[in-house]
Amino acid sequence: MSFLGEVRLEEEFGPFAAFQEALGFVPNLLYAQTLLPRVIEAQAKLESAVRSQGGAISRVHKERILLSIAADRHDTYCVALESKVLSLLGMSEGQIDDLLNDYHRADFPLADLALLQFCLKLSRYPPSMCSEDIEALRACGFEDKLILEAVVVTALAVYRCTLSVGLGPEADFGPRKLASTRIAPPRDVALHIPSPGIHEAARNKGPYVPAPYLSSKTFGPFAIVQKSHGFIPNFFRAQTLRPDLLEAELEAVDRILLPEDVLTRVQKECILLAVSAANLNSYCVAMHCNLLRGLGMPSEEGDQIAVDHHESNLSESDRALLDFAVKLGTRVSEFSRKDVVKLQTLGFTEEQILECEVVTALNNFANTIQMGLGIEPDFEPPPDFENKVHLSGGAQTPIQAGGVVHLVDTLQDTEAGLVAQAQSGKLEAFEELARHHGQLIYRTLTAILGNPADAQDAMQDTLLSVFKHIDGFQGRSKFSTWLVSIARNTAFQRLRRGKHFESSDEAVCNEERDFRPRQVRAWQDNPEELYSKSEMRQLVERGILALPANYRVVVMLRDIQQLSTDEVARQLGLSVPAVKTRLLRGRLMLREWLSPHFANRVKGIAQ
Amino acid sequence: MITCEEFFAEFGDYLENQVSPEVRKELELHLSQCRACHVLYDSSRKTVKIVTESSSFELPKSVSDPIIDRVMAKLRTGQS
Repeated sequence: MSFLGEVRLEEEFGPFAAFQEALGFVPNLLYAQTLLPRVIEAQAKLESAVRSQGGAISRVHKERILLSIAADRHDTYCVALESKVLSLLGMSEGQIDDLLNDYHRADFPLADLALLQFCLKLSRYPPSMCSEDIEALRACGFEDKLILEAVVVTALAVYRCTLSVGLGPEADFGPRKLASTRIAPPRDVALHIPSPGIHEAARNKGPYVPAPYLSSKTFGPFAIVQKSHGFIPNFFRAQTLRPDLLEAELEAVDRILLPEDVLTRVQKECILLAVSAANLNSYCVAMHCNLLRGLGMPSEEGDQIAVDHHESNLSESDRALLDFAVKLGTRVSEFSRKDVVKLQTLGFTEEQILECEVVTALNNFANTIQMGLGIEPDFEPPPDFENKVHLSGGAQTPIQAGGVVHLVDTLQDTEAGLVAQAQSGKLEAFEELARHHGQLIYRTLTAILGNPADAQDAMQDTLLSVFKHIDGFQGRSKFSTWLVSIARNTAFQRLRRGKHFESSDEAVCNEERDFRPRQVRAWQDNPEELYSKSEMRQLVERGILALPANYRVVVMLRDIQQLSTDEVARQLGLSVPAVKTRLLRGRLMLREWLSPHFANRVKGIAQ
Repeated sequence: MITCEEFFAEFGDYLENQVSPEVRKELELHLSQCRACHVLYDSSRKTVKIVTESSSFELPKSVSDPIIDRVMAKLRTGQS
C-alpha cells in the first residue's frame, strides 16, 4: 500500500485500459491516486501524448530518458518501472544496467548521449539551462520539434518522480541495483557547464525554440485558455510546434486545477506559487502572483508568499500545506511518510493531500518546460523575489549584474529612509514624500473623481490620511502603491458622500464583448502638428474625463502617469490581463473621441 | 492570412510591442493586406503617442504648493 488510501475503480475506467494497452500493466503509481480519478485521467493524458508514435523521438529513446532521470534522482520506484518497460521493448539487461550506472558506457551514438545529457541537466538544475544547451543539440543535427519533445519528456519524468516520492507506491517489479556514485560529469559532449549565477543571462536569451502562430480560432484549446485566463500565456504559445502535446497539457491542467471539490483554486495557486518560488522560477512566480490577484488576493500577499510564505497572512494549516509542497517539490531526499502524517494530524483529508502532491508534480512539470524552452515572461515577478533570485546566485553572480541591483537598492533605500523618518514623526521627511508623489496622487484622484477641481479638493484629505496611517505601511509593497491605495479610498469615500457613486474598478468590468472601433477613416500623417500643445492637452483631458471610470483610471496611470502595466495592476489590485483589456478599450475609446479632429478630410463628401 | 478577428485578439499586445517574432510576422502581413486594420492600427498608435506626450493633468506647482503648505501647517499645529 502507498501512503494514501486506495479505492477500486471499475474495470473499464478509461485511463487504466490505456495503460494496460501501452505497457501491458497498470503501474501502482496510478493505483495510488484512485481517491481522485480525475488526476489519473490527467496523468494518462500526458503519458499517452508523450508516448504517442509519430513524434521526432522514438519510443525507446523516450523511455531511456525517463529511466536515466529516474536513476539520476535515485527514484527506485520509477527505476524499476522504467527498466521493465525498456526490457519489454527489447533492450538488453546489460544496456539497462549501463544506463543505470553510467550512460557514457552504454554503446550509444554520440548524438544520443548528448540528448540524455541535455535532459539530465534540465531535470537536475533547470535554472542553469541556456541557449548554448540548445545549440549543442542542434549541432548534433536535432530539429526544434525534437528539442521541444525532449523537454516535455523530461518534464514528464519529473512529474512522475515527484509523485512517486509523495505517494510511496509499492514497487511493480523487483528493485534494480543503482551505483552508489552517480553518473559521471559530462565528458564527451560539450554542453554548457551549469553555474548557479546564470539565471539572468539565460532568461534573456529565450525563447530557444521558435513557435508557429496559432490563434483561438485555428486552435480550439486556445479559445478555452483565452476564456479562463483572459489571455494566452507565453507558456502555451511557446509549444505550438506540437499542438497534440499542448492539447494534452491543457486537458491535464484543467482536470487538476479547475475543480474545487477538494482544495480551493486559491490553495492550489498558492502551492504553485510557493513551489515555483522555491525552484527560483521567475516566470511561474509572476504568473501565479497574477492569477492569485485575479482571484482576489491582495498583491502584497502574493508577493509575500513568493518571498517567504511563513511571513504571509495565510492560516497556519495552509502554511503547513505549502511547507509540505515545497519539501516534496524541491527537497525530495528529506521527504517521508511522516510529512503525510503531519498534514493528516492538522486535519487535511487524504484527498486533499493527494491533490496537493499532484499540483506540486504539475508545478515541477511546468517549471521544467519553462526553463527548458526559455519561455519569455508574460509579467514581471515581484521585485523582492527578483532580489531573492539574485542573492541565491551567491558569489557567482556576475559583477555587472550585482552593480545594477545595488543602484536600484540605493534609490529604494533613499525613499525607505524618508518613509522611516516620516513614520517616526519627522515632518520634513513627510513633506518631501508629499511633494515627490503629489502628481501621482492628483492623477489618481482625478481619474476616480472624474473632475480636476474635486481632485484638488481631495488632495488635502488624502495627504492628511497618508500621514495618519503611515505607520500602517509595512514596506511589503512599494510606497507609491500604498499611496495610490490611500488616494483611491479617499476618492471613493467622497463619491459615496456625494451620492453620485459611479461603480468603479471594484465593480466587475462591464464586458462589452463586441466592442469594435467605428471610426474607419485614416488619420493625417503628423496629427500633433495640427494643434498647439495646450489645445492638444485640452483635447486629451476632455477625452479622458469622458471615459468610463474603469478605463479612465487605467489610461491615466499607464499613459499619462506612464507607469508600467505591471505597476498599474499592482496598484489597482487587478491582474495584468484585466489591466490590458481595460487599457486597450480605453485607448480605443479615446481614438474614437480624437478621430474627428485628426482624420483626413474626405473630399467631396459631406461629413 | 489571419482574419481581422485574430488580428484584433493580438492588437493590444502589438500596440505595447509585446508580441513574439512569430506573431508579429502574422500581424504585419495582415496589416499590409487589410486597409481597415491598418487604419485602426495607425490611428491607435497615434492616439497613444498623443496621449502620452500631452502632459495632461499636470498639477502646476502654483496649485500643489499651497495645498501641501496647508497640510504641513495643519500637521505642525497638530503636533505641537
